[in-house]
Amino acid sequence: MAKPTDILPGTLDLLILRTLELGPLHGVGIADRIEQVTRGAFLIGPGSLFPALHRLTEKGWLDGEWTESETKRRVKVYTLTASGRAQLAKEKRNWKNVFTAMNRALAEEG
Amino acid sequence: MILLHRLRQVFDLLFHGDAVETELDAEVQAFYQTKVDRYMERGVPEQEARRLARMKFGHPENVKEEVRDSRTGAALASTMRTASYALRTMRKAPLFACVTILTLGVGIGANTTIFSVVSRFVLRHPPVGDAARLMALHTTQGGGQCCNNFSWPLYSELREQAKSFSGVTAYYDLLPASIDGSGEPERVWGQAVTANFFDVARLPMTVGRGFTQDEEHLPAVVLGHRLWQRRFGADPAIAGRSVRLSGRPYTVVGVAPSGFRGLDIILDAQFWVPLDNIDHLLPKTDNRTDRNYHWFAVVGHLASGVTQAQAAAELEVLGQRFAKAFPETVAAASRDTGFLMETAGSLPPRDRSAAMMFFAGLSAVALLVLCIACANVANLSLAQATGRRREMAVRLALGATRGHLLGQVLTESVLLSLAGGIFGVALSLWATNAPAAFRLAVPVPLDLSVSVNSAVLLYAFVLSVGAGILFGLAPAWSVARPVIVSALKGEDVLGRPDRAWSLRNLLVVSQISMSPVLLSATGLFLRSLGNASRIDIGFRSKGVLMMSVDPRLHGYSPERSVQLLTTVRQRIATLPGVISAACTDAVPLSGGHRSDGFEVQGRPAPSGNTSVDLYMASSGYFDTMGISRIAGRDFENETATSSRTAVVNELFVQRFFGNENPIGQRVRDGNRIYEIIGVVKNTKSRTLGEDLRPVLYRSLAQDIAADPSMSGYSLLVRFAGEPGALAKAVRAQIHALDPALAIFDSATMEEHLSDALFLPRLAGTLFGIFGLLGLSLAAVGLYGVISYWVSRRTREIGIRLAIGARIGEVQRLIIRQGMTLAVVALVPGLAAAWGLAKLFTSFLYGVPAHDAATFTLVPLFLGGVTFLACWIPSRRAAKVDPNTALRHE
Repeated sequence: MAKPTDILPGTLDLLILRTLELGPLHGVGIADRIEQVTRGAFLIGPGSLFPALHRLTEKGWLDGEWTESETKRRVKVYTLTASGRAQLAKEKRNWKNVFTAMNRALAEEG
Repeated sequence: MILLHRLRQVFDLLFHGDAVETELDAEVQAFYQTKVDRYMERGVPEQEARRLARMKFGHPENVKEEVRDSRTGAALASTMRTASYALRTMRKAPLFACVTILTLGVGIGANTTIFSVVSRFVLRHPPVGDAARLMALHTTQGGGQCCNNFSWPLYSELREQAKSFSGVTAYYDLLPASIDGSGEPERVWGQAVTANFFDVARLPMTVGRGFTQDEEHLPAVVLGHRLWQRRFGADPAIAGRSVRLSGRPYTVVGVAPSGFRGLDIILDAQFWVPLDNIDHLLPKTDNRTDRNYHWFAVVGHLASGVTQAQAAAELEVLGQRFAKAFPETVAAASRDTGFLMETAGSLPPRDRSAAMMFFAGLSAVALLVLCIACANVANLSLAQATGRRREMAVRLALGATRGHLLGQVLTESVLLSLAGGIFGVALSLWATNAPAAFRLAVPVPLDLSVSVNSAVLLYAFVLSVGAGILFGLAPAWSVARPVIVSALKGEDVLGRPDRAWSLRNLLVVSQISMSPVLLSATGLFLRSLGNASRIDIGFRSKGVLMMSVDPRLHGYSPERSVQLLTTVRQRIATLPGVISAACTDAVPLSGGHRSDGFEVQGRPAPSGNTSVDLYMASSGYFDTMGISRIAGRDFENETATSSRTAVVNELFVQRFFGNENPIGQRVRDGNRIYEIIGVVKNTKSRTLGEDLRPVLYRSLAQDIAADPSMSGYSLLVRFAGEPGALAKAVRAQIHALDPALAIFDSATMEEHLSDALFLPRLAGTLFGIFGLLGLSLAAVGLYGVISYWVSRRTREIGIRLAIGARIGEVQRLIIRQGMTLAVVALVPGLAAAWGLAKLFTSFLYGVPAHDAATFTLVPLFLGGVTFLACWIPSRRAAKVDPNTALRHE
């Protein structure tokens, strides 16, 4: 099955955590939000979204709850847990480090 | 917390899998529904909206599969799914499952049984604290010649000087005594030990304690667990009580833990007394501190931090130092120049290599049986697999990977094999009880019990999984690589034109090639058993009853012992049905009793072996045993004071006198001189398999005081009629004279003889079972393959018949192909059997390893069986109707 976008491994988790930092969302909401925020750079298909959501839930960083959506459908809404927040902080730092390091490396080459 | 949280999820996944699935389904459906809703908002009709959603986001099933794979415990859950699918498959083919479980069960059962025997005698340590650091020490002579006990002075020197051991104990290992307590009077065996015995062994006592240092000279006793339960009602307050051993009071200081039967591997000791009590419990102990007499077994506990190698090095140094310091008076044989050390509870070094060889042979044979069983099952499941070719091809076409299919088939085979393993363990639970029913014909107490323990269960488990993988690999391989196109059409997946049937042929060939090895071993051991039971023992065993007493253990002096035995004998002789009665100190074929070097008075000692087996006999002994007299007379009214007389066997005459008349000649062993009064025919003395030995019978009345027997005296009664009632009557006669006398070893001579056949019978039984198992499995395998052939080739046969082949020709074709396989298999098989037969030489009675009869009959028999296995299915080929066959498929 074709993945919609090439995404760096691990980045999807960070994106999801960051998205949920702003408030609880259901699956489609998360995918839409990421698409919006990254201006369509990342299209998250269900084949990567749901495994990631389940993985994060298993780790205890997300909490899923069934509620009714605005269109009156039963959907599972995900919330960031306290340990998820801590993880997000950690991953943000990590990402900044990587980002800085990569930039330096690329600048040198250029 | 997080860990708990995760465990919880894995738990949910495994045991509430359905709920987890439903939830996942709902979530994914909701996602698609939302997307569809959006399309529909834009005016797309529902049908089209769904199609678009799927095109854009893939099939929901695939999404769900991705989620499943990403979960913790996904692998476990998928294994469980595979397993439950495997169980369903098995339920669909119950016959196949049953046959597989039975076949493998028998194979695994054979192996676990043998392994429990091996682990009992090779791997087990005595149940003491820190068994791995408890070392049995032996002395070696003349440059490492193995092995002997220690003399007391040598033990004392070693104990004093060796720094590698935290403690060294010595014990005398076979000490008979009568004991009081509840129940019939009984003779039990124990050991006399140095006071530090229980400290060195680090034994956690059940009651009380071991001996203290100042008890070495006191009459104290530690009871064995079984003895304590049997005769003293497991009295928890027994410590401090007094019990009588051979008539003398001993203070109980403790009870050994259950399962402890001494530090040897097979002796079965039931009580322990401090060493100096040996003078009371044994006759003739005046030389026990002599450097020339090797009385004691020695065991030491390695000091902490000392390795076995370091201890061995120290022992070597000590051995050299001791040898230099030995006084001149020490006999050459006792100038011990070395020590041998090994873990306590190992097999006795002298018998080890033979025992190991026997165990190795048994294990190899059992493994062969299992291999044959595996090959058989593999073949069966290959046939089974072709039946499932459609299922597999469909699953492949639907996107299962070959890995999935492989895993599926292997899971099935391992599950079946585990079921077989459970059956096998049940079989060996039953089988390990059997050796307890075997009794060795020796007068000392042996513990040969075997049980299934955790090591054995582990072995069975490993074996089951191994067997499952082994027999599953072949079908798994072929199933996972079917030719999809032909499979979906219902044609043969395995029928690759270039290598038709090669896998099955290989299996059958390997199966058949293993059976000659098994069968020739079976043949050899059955021949050996036959020979052993036909061996001329030299006396008539039918109609003789035997029963033993040891008056010495009840405080009888030698004179009173003779009196007692004579009176008992006279009284028994008057019982109805009794033909004659006699006494001896040892029944023949009891593994050896006493022997001594002899020479003829007034002549130089003859060259070669002068060792002669010694038996005491009362008058009437030869008539009762049915040993014919050749010359001279029987014992009559010898007394302790008259000059010594002896009856010898033919071989004795031959060895010491050649063709001369021995009657009236005098022979001597050390300082006792005997006048020969008679000559009798040869008998087997120690074991059935031995070459004849020279034997000297001496008068019981004359030698009982000078050379008393350690293991009591046997009454022999020749009778006509029923032995059960007579045994009771004899018992009553003995107890009428002294109700306190312990009676032991009560049996008929025929029972004794069958005990003496223990080894050939055990080997014959085991190999008989294994051989037949292997053969029938191999024959069934061949039969199955040929049958399958015939059914696969019905059309070909039909064509042959249609174009004019005769039925006989077709049948011959089938048989020829089958027999080609058999011959290809039998040639290496027989060669291997021929080579391996040599290993058994030392266990065979009067049968050469390359026994002509065995090696003629086995190939013929195998040829016959394989022929039959081909012929039966070939008849079916002959019955093929060309018309039907051509329309077939």
